[in-house]
Amino acid sequence: MASESPNSARKVVVHLRATGDAPILKQAKFKIAGTDKFAKVIDFLRRQLHRDTLFVYVNSAFSPNPDELVIDLYKNFGFDGKLVVNYACSMAWG
Amino acid sequence: MVLGTEAQKYVWEGAIPLQIHLHESEVTTLPSPPPALDFTDIVAEILGPRIGYLPLLIPLIKPHFSSALPPGADTVWFDYKGMPLKWYIPTGVLYDLLCGEPERPWKLTVHFRGYPSDLLSPCEGEDSIKWSFINSLKEAAYITNGNCKNVMNMSQPDQVELWRSVGNGNMEGYLRILSKLKLGTVGEECKVKVSSGSAQPRQSIGEADLVGPSRTGRVPVRLYLRNVSEDLNDLEDAPPIDSWDKISYINRPVEIPREEGIFFSLRDAVKTLLPEFFADEPLIDEQISRIEHEDEGGVPSDNASSTRSGEVGETLDEPHELSCCPSSNNAEIKLVRIQGIEPKLEIPFAWVVNNLMNPEHFLHICVYVKVSQDLANTM
Repeated sequence: MASESPNSARKVVVHLRATGDAPILKQAKFKIAGTDKFAKVIDFLRRQLHRDTLFVYVNSAFSPNPDELVIDLYKNFGFDGKLVVNYACSMAWG
Repeated sequence: MVLGTEAQKYVWEGAIPLQIHLHESEVTTLPSPPPALDFTDIVAEILGPRIGYLPLLIPLIKPHFSSALPPGADTVWFDYKGMPLKWYIPTGVLYDLLCGEPERPWKLTVHFRGYPSDLLSPCEGEDSIKWSFINSLKEAAYITNGNCKNVMNMSQPDQVELWRSVGNGNMEGYLRILSKLKLGTVGEECKVKVSSGSAQPRQSIGEADLVGPSRTGRVPVRLYLRNVSEDLNDLEDAPPIDSWDKISYINRPVEIPREEGIFFSLRDAVKTLLPEFFADEPLIDEQISRIEHEDEGGVPSDNASSTRSGEVGETLDEPHELSCCPSSNNAEIKLVRIQGIEPKLEIPFAWVVNNLMNPEHFLHICVYVKVSQDLANTM
């Protein structure tokens, strides 16, 4: 689409961190296309953890809406070259 | 009491007349519909607040349809001309984005069964919407302040009252709670002088925080980009969108320059978000926009900041046009719509933010882009 600048094609490193009693993944860091939506991260976690209900946060702070592009989240909230995504099986941060 | 601006009141009172039809497939699931009664004729006519969310209307519209519905659990969703509507996008934004030419009443279809889980994220009633709203508010706070501690530490009663105020369209109640969150407004230092000069006694202890400039000048923006073809003269003729894949969704903050004497317009803001449509012009950092002293025609006059900003400028060399120069990709911005209006692009961006943002502290901007036919086909 016309709105995509060239740098949105880059890959983003997503660091998945378990919160509360959520199971820890064997591999915690993944690369994902910046053009992907956050929904893809949520779906990935749902499949990995075999859970329908999952609470997924950025920087232990808020849940982005599933349409947000990974590159936008990385640019707005990423640091140290990665986007930190926390997941919990029950609501962790309101 | 915390006072909102006149424009904010218009936003909060803004509503869209809706005419809601029941999808016919749901009627036919009835075991034996009374022959004399055609349930597809049943409509609910209702006003949908701009800042509200469609599922919040369900308790009001369900009684219209309950006689036609088969027994079972409801999973309510809406569509407009076949496009399932995302429940977490404010109603006014959906309308601005999907109705090129405003349709009154806006004819929507409601479904009580067959939730399209592959297209829409699950919605479990008002709790889901409240949760989404609070999370958007936290995200906005994070962008503005670098953290969202104030929103996360909000007391339970405050959170309840904040949400109730949004649901009831109670702007004063909302602003009272919001002032505690210290999200601030942008670049409106002059607003303090104006309000202190009025006869109205100032009572709120939080007011100083509300009118103070934000620390970073970063404005949370959600921008929706829709393409229309070039040979289209009338937006009324625009074919309805049938898929969200045809809309680009951009979440990028806009940084308002803090340097003194720089006038930052809505046009400058759109340019930082969509630089590809301004390819022939220098970047915002390289130019200082100027505005004519008298050029305030499109700016509602209740707000002093919009007129103040004019003082820093000199004369305008060339009038800024709404339609930008066609850029290298043969696309140009046809219109920019915020809260149902198409503001002049010369309007100060700070005014737009402080008056037209939604209660979750995001400014939602709908942009229609005109693309040439060849290009449109490849997109």
